[in-house]
Amino acid sequence: MTPLAEFRHVDFAYRASRAAAPRSARTAFALRDLSFTVEASEVFGIIGPNASGKTTLIRLLSRVLLPARGEILLDGRPLEQLTRAAVATQVAVVPQDVPQGFPYTVEELVLMGRFPHAPGRLFESAADRDHARQAMAQAGVADLAAERIDRLSGGERQRVILARALAQRARLLVLDEPTAHLDLRYQAECVGLLRRLNRDTGLGIVLVSHDLNLAAEVSDRLLLLAAGRAVRLGSPEAVLDDAVLEEVYGCRVLVDKHPASRRPTVQILWPYP
Amino acid sequence: MSPTARLVAALAVLATATAVAAMAALFIGSAPVSPRDVLAVLGGRASAAPVDQVVVLSLRLPRIAAALLAGGALAVAGVGFQGLTRNPLAEPSVLGVSSGAAFGVVLAQVFGLRAGPLEILGLVGFAFVGAFVAGTAVYAIAARAGGLPVHTLVLAGVIVGIFFSSAITVLISIVDFDRLGGVVHWLLGNLGPLPPAELGLFVAATALGFWLVLHPSRQLNLLALGEEGALQLGVDAERVKRRIFAGAALLAAAVVAFAGPIGFVGLIVPHALRLALGPDNRVLVPAALLAGGLFLLVADTLARSLIAPAELSVGVITSFCGAPFFVYLLRSRTERIEP
Amino acid sequence: MAFAALVLAAARVPADALAVNDPTGRSLTLPGVPRRIVSLVPSVTETLFAIGAQDRLVGVTDFCDYPPGARRKPRIGGMLAPSFETIVTLKPDLVVATPAGNREETFVQLERLRIPVYLVNPTRLADVLDLISRLGALTGHAAEASRLAAALDVRVKGVAERASQLPRPRVLYVLWPDPLIVPARGALVSELLALVGADSVTANAGEGYPRLSLEAAVSGAPEVIILASHGGNQGPMAREKWARFAGLPAVKSGRIHSVSGDILHRYGPRVVDGLEDLARLVHPEVFKPSGRR
Repeated sequence: MTPLAEFRHVDFAYRASRAAAPRSARTAFALRDLSFTVEASEVFGIIGPNASGKTTLIRLLSRVLLPARGEILLDGRPLEQLTRAAVATQVAVVPQDVPQGFPYTVEELVLMGRFPHAPGRLFESAADRDHARQAMAQAGVADLAAERIDRLSGGERQRVILARALAQRARLLVLDEPTAHLDLRYQAECVGLLRRLNRDTGLGIVLVSHDLNLAAEVSDRLLLLAAGRAVRLGSPEAVLDDAVLEEVYGCRVLVDKHPASRRPTVQILWPYP
Repeated sequence: MSPTARLVAALAVLATATAVAAMAALFIGSAPVSPRDVLAVLGGRASAAPVDQVVVLSLRLPRIAAALLAGGALAVAGVGFQGLTRNPLAEPSVLGVSSGAAFGVVLAQVFGLRAGPLEILGLVGFAFVGAFVAGTAVYAIAARAGGLPVHTLVLAGVIVGIFFSSAITVLISIVDFDRLGGVVHWLLGNLGPLPPAELGLFVAATALGFWLVLHPSRQLNLLALGEEGALQLGVDAERVKRRIFAGAALLAAAVVAFAGPIGFVGLIVPHALRLALGPDNRVLVPAALLAGGLFLLVADTLARSLIAPAELSVGVITSFCGAPFFVYLLRSRTERIEP
Repeated sequence: MAFAALVLAAARVPADALAVNDPTGRSLTLPGVPRRIVSLVPSVTETLFAIGAQDRLVGVTDFCDYPPGARRKPRIGGMLAPSFETIVTLKPDLVVATPAGNREETFVQLERLRIPVYLVNPTRLADVLDLISRLGALTGHAAEASRLAAALDVRVKGVAERASQLPRPRVLYVLWPDPLIVPARGALVSELLALVGADSVTANAGEGYPRLSLEAAVSGAPEVIILASHGGNQGPMAREKWARFAGLPAVKSGRIHSVSGDILHRYGPRVVDGLEDLARLVHPEVFKPSGRR
């Protein structure tokens, strides 16, 4: 089966003048010789400390950036040959938040996800509206359709952004720190939703998170990045190893098993100075 | 309500209001033309006195047309520019292009640059040349290898605008005492009846600018929520930014060329429309074309009738509306920041 | 070819048409002797009254306040932004305007409305007298005009002759105090100052009425300072400003005076009154008040 997405020996460096680059990446490569695949219907977790290249990876995968060396393939086709809109019909990114300068309604925001399917149209079609409504139902925000996004709580906005990504009807969903500012209830809901989507619709999911336990819980496979390089790739049990983690994160940890799910959990060994 | 329905409703209301205002403005003015006589002129009756014909058809009608075009152009430029800079408080004058255009005209007025080959250009030509220089400067300063970052665009626009405004101040300080009054008067806005050729050019420029801003208005919606997000949704952000910049600049330049510098319309009208119709640019841009025209028409009608037979500059009225409106905007925005 | 065009043009024109050249050299074709004149220039309004042509005047600006009869004429607005509608309603067959005071857009617009525009721009005393004659010829009051011009000329010559024998004090003439604007080369006031036997310290400070720094004005050590008042309110304030420079001869001798800007800066018949005022201020020992005002 062709993998949904594939990175083959990808290098990327931000140019020195680029203010957007993290400090550590200014003169060094942000990603070095990165190779991995994401299979269809897989939940693929990407973990690593700050400045390990996780954000850069998302940008490359969504064609915001193009690699300096190597290739990225979507469904077997090189990314460079695809238009941005074509990529957007295959890869849907769920960012952490959206700027709130303008008071769009939830429905307007979710409908934006339909743009890549008909970029030449000025207005969305009835079919687009149906897709949007389904996506809102899937994300559990159907009743918020007429609300302004700047009036929502953080958790509600997260789900709305997810709904927009779902409306893209892509086969691969890329989530960037989906639980970053959510409290427990929403973290749990998020996991439930992702699992349901993956199981019911076969949606491929790439999950970038620095919450190791979330990644371990949800992912079929994990990629551990450090300083732009792949350190480990495999099942959560294989990747989450005390020694490796200690070296990568620079602090002492204990890898244990979740009492209910039996998935690996990572505990920090808090220092007593 | 779907955006198309909202658009149709808004256009219907605005078109009616504009038509009513335009008709009413035909009856208002310093010349004592009775309503019956106005109607006689409009109906093309032979009984219409020649003076009345001149007043209604050569003075009032072209001026109304100029006001509608200038107001519409400014409002559309405002919508585009606010979307482009992701800032609902941006004004097209921040582009720097208006100052460049104004400088071109003042330069021509101060040095009487109307002799010989330059005469063909006319004030309108000087305005466009000035605008072109300013716009190119802004673009050159702001553009990076990758594209057109919005924050540098705003900065570049402000810098270029300040440069040309200062240059205008220098010109004012050396101009002949005799011409000073005229120059200062022009700088307050110079809406007047335009001859058919100029009106035609104005219509063409406005139409083109309108198209440049309207065409990518769906993409502009996506851009308003962050450039990276828009790229990830398939928007060709650089192309959209270039188009909107070109369109807004063309509209701003045209207004200065044909009606002099007029402020605040590009700020007030888009904002008011956004409050009423929501932030969807596909609805706002066409609505702004009508609403801006309506607003400026009303302002101009006031300007030419408040102290008749003397006339106020229309810029005076828009500024008087603008300042309190700005205060209101500021207060309503800060209230929203409270959780 | 040009001749043929001229002939054709002449043929199309009505029998009593008037072809005139205005003082700036533009040629106009009027349907007849103008009977309905709108004046956009206060000095022209004054002149028309002075030559008895006021019946032909149908519209004036808000600034046309002399003679009192002018205030009763219909108003068409200011000099910069007159109301075209009002002008058009008055059905003028001639509008008199000046590039030094009216805007070019104004005359362009009027010509678009097919209203002939007669442009004037007197910069020398001779131009003023010439304008009086031209307006007389234009309005069929040539006799009064030439009488007026002759009488004014006599007065001017009288002042000039008496003054030419006298010593020439240094004079600073202030058109506007802030920014400081003074008469220099080519300015009418400079010519008047020379006629009354004054040595204007700003005579070569530029062209026309340039701005000048206070330093440059003061460095001429003027013995007389003349302040133009506009609308009557400038006198006391401006005086104080100059009184600060105790070292100036003019301040020491208390010879700081005001004159009416309305008279001296409107290039109409009253300019000669202004000339005589200047003579009295510069050479009080010779030119006594005539009890005119």
